[in-house]
Amino acid sequence: MKPAYIMQKEIKESILTPKGFLWYILTSVILSVLSYLFLTNSELSLLDQGEMLYMIMNFITALGVLIGIVFGADSFAGEIERGTLEALLLSPVNKTEIAIGKLGAALTNWGIIFVISLPYLFVVGKGAQNLLIGIAYLSILGTLLVITFSAFSMGLSARIKSMKNSLIISFFVFLLAGSPIFLSAAQRGTWFGRILDFINPFADAINTFDSVVIDSQGFSYQIERVVIICCYTLLSLWFLKKSASRLEM
Amino acid sequence: MKRLPLLLSTIILAIIGNYALVFAASRISVSIDPVFIQANMGDKITYTGTISNNSDNVVNNIIAYISLANVTQGQESPMDLEDWSANKAIKVDAIPPHGTYEGKWPIRLIDSGSYVAYVMVVDKNDNIPVSSAMSRLEIKRVLRLNPNNVLPVALGEPILIGTVFLFISFKRRKGLRSL
Repeated sequence: MKPAYIMQKEIKESILTPKGFLWYILTSVILSVLSYLFLTNSELSLLDQGEMLYMIMNFITALGVLIGIVFGADSFAGEIERGTLEALLLSPVNKTEIAIGKLGAALTNWGIIFVISLPYLFVVGKGAQNLLIGIAYLSILGTLLVITFSAFSMGLSARIKSMKNSLIISFFVFLLAGSPIFLSAAQRGTWFGRILDFINPFADAINTFDSVVIDSQGFSYQIERVVIICCYTLLSLWFLKKSASRLEM
Repeated sequence: MKRLPLLLSTIILAIIGNYALVFAASRISVSIDPVFIQANMGDKITYTGTISNNSDNVVNNIIAYISLANVTQGQESPMDLEDWSANKAIKVDAIPPHGTYEGKWPIRLIDSGSYVAYVMVVDKNDNIPVSSAMSRLEIKRVLRLNPNNVLPVALGEPILIGTVFLFISFKRRKGLRSL
């Protein structure tokens, strides 16, 4: 119950505020523009329905991860910079519970982004054969990636104690994870590109979306990638636990 | 004067060589169907290229592909067919003597304007590629403002979230004033 209390406090302070809501307005505006562009393109068949769904799923995942990183960077370093960490550490909640509560708030934020994106997914994916299964994969892998990157960013925030620095490092890691997107198909086909794709949780997620939505492949094709993402999630949670336990007044 | 026979023989050789190339190229002929299409943006059309082997020998390993050129006034350029059609080139393993092969090129029309389409055939044993006559293609612009009923979602959702945002802001201000 104690993590739930911290989570509730975080949601009240970061999500249910006019500033917090601005993120969601921006999210919906960006998704509106993207969906409209995709669909007017689809009239001209530059992209087929499955490919559009896949692209918008990638975008939603990246958006969720990015906002998760910002939440994570603010979690401990933000409290230190605002001078509120002492009060939090003096409360009858242990450090791991504080970390769990803050991670829960980041996940709630992802949940809201996912709910906001659902109507767009249904409109863009209308007629696509793998719409529902694609949404199911997005919810699961998106959640795992948000946990991975938010927990990593929170761990850094607890260790570095500087919001700016933990945010910059987390962004660099995210860019590194997203690097396969910037590589051409030929570069990704080389042994180095394939290894980079395989060990990279973000690339694993987008390759799984590709495999499920565009190539209609079953779960047996996805197992390896899902296991790798799960490993990263566990590793990040362990890093967060270790980093939170080091917090001092 | 001494140079005249040399010049004449060079000209004659060039003419013979040219005729030989045309003769070699004429082993294959290709036609495109239909020869004129008028359609709307977004429509799917299919071109059929008929490749005929006019010789008494089998023709092996030829490549046939379709090309599209924009001939709209002021926009003249060859088109990259990657966005228009997935199957650009077709490899034909063999056409029997005096036989034909029909290749099909489905194309999704993605932009308006005047175009010409033609099928080219390349035979590695010949020096000159063979082209069909040009098929004229007129594409009319179509503007669909609400594909897949996207507008209610694209406009409605930001407005809905914006309303919740205003409600929260109003409630907060009211709370602060009561303090």
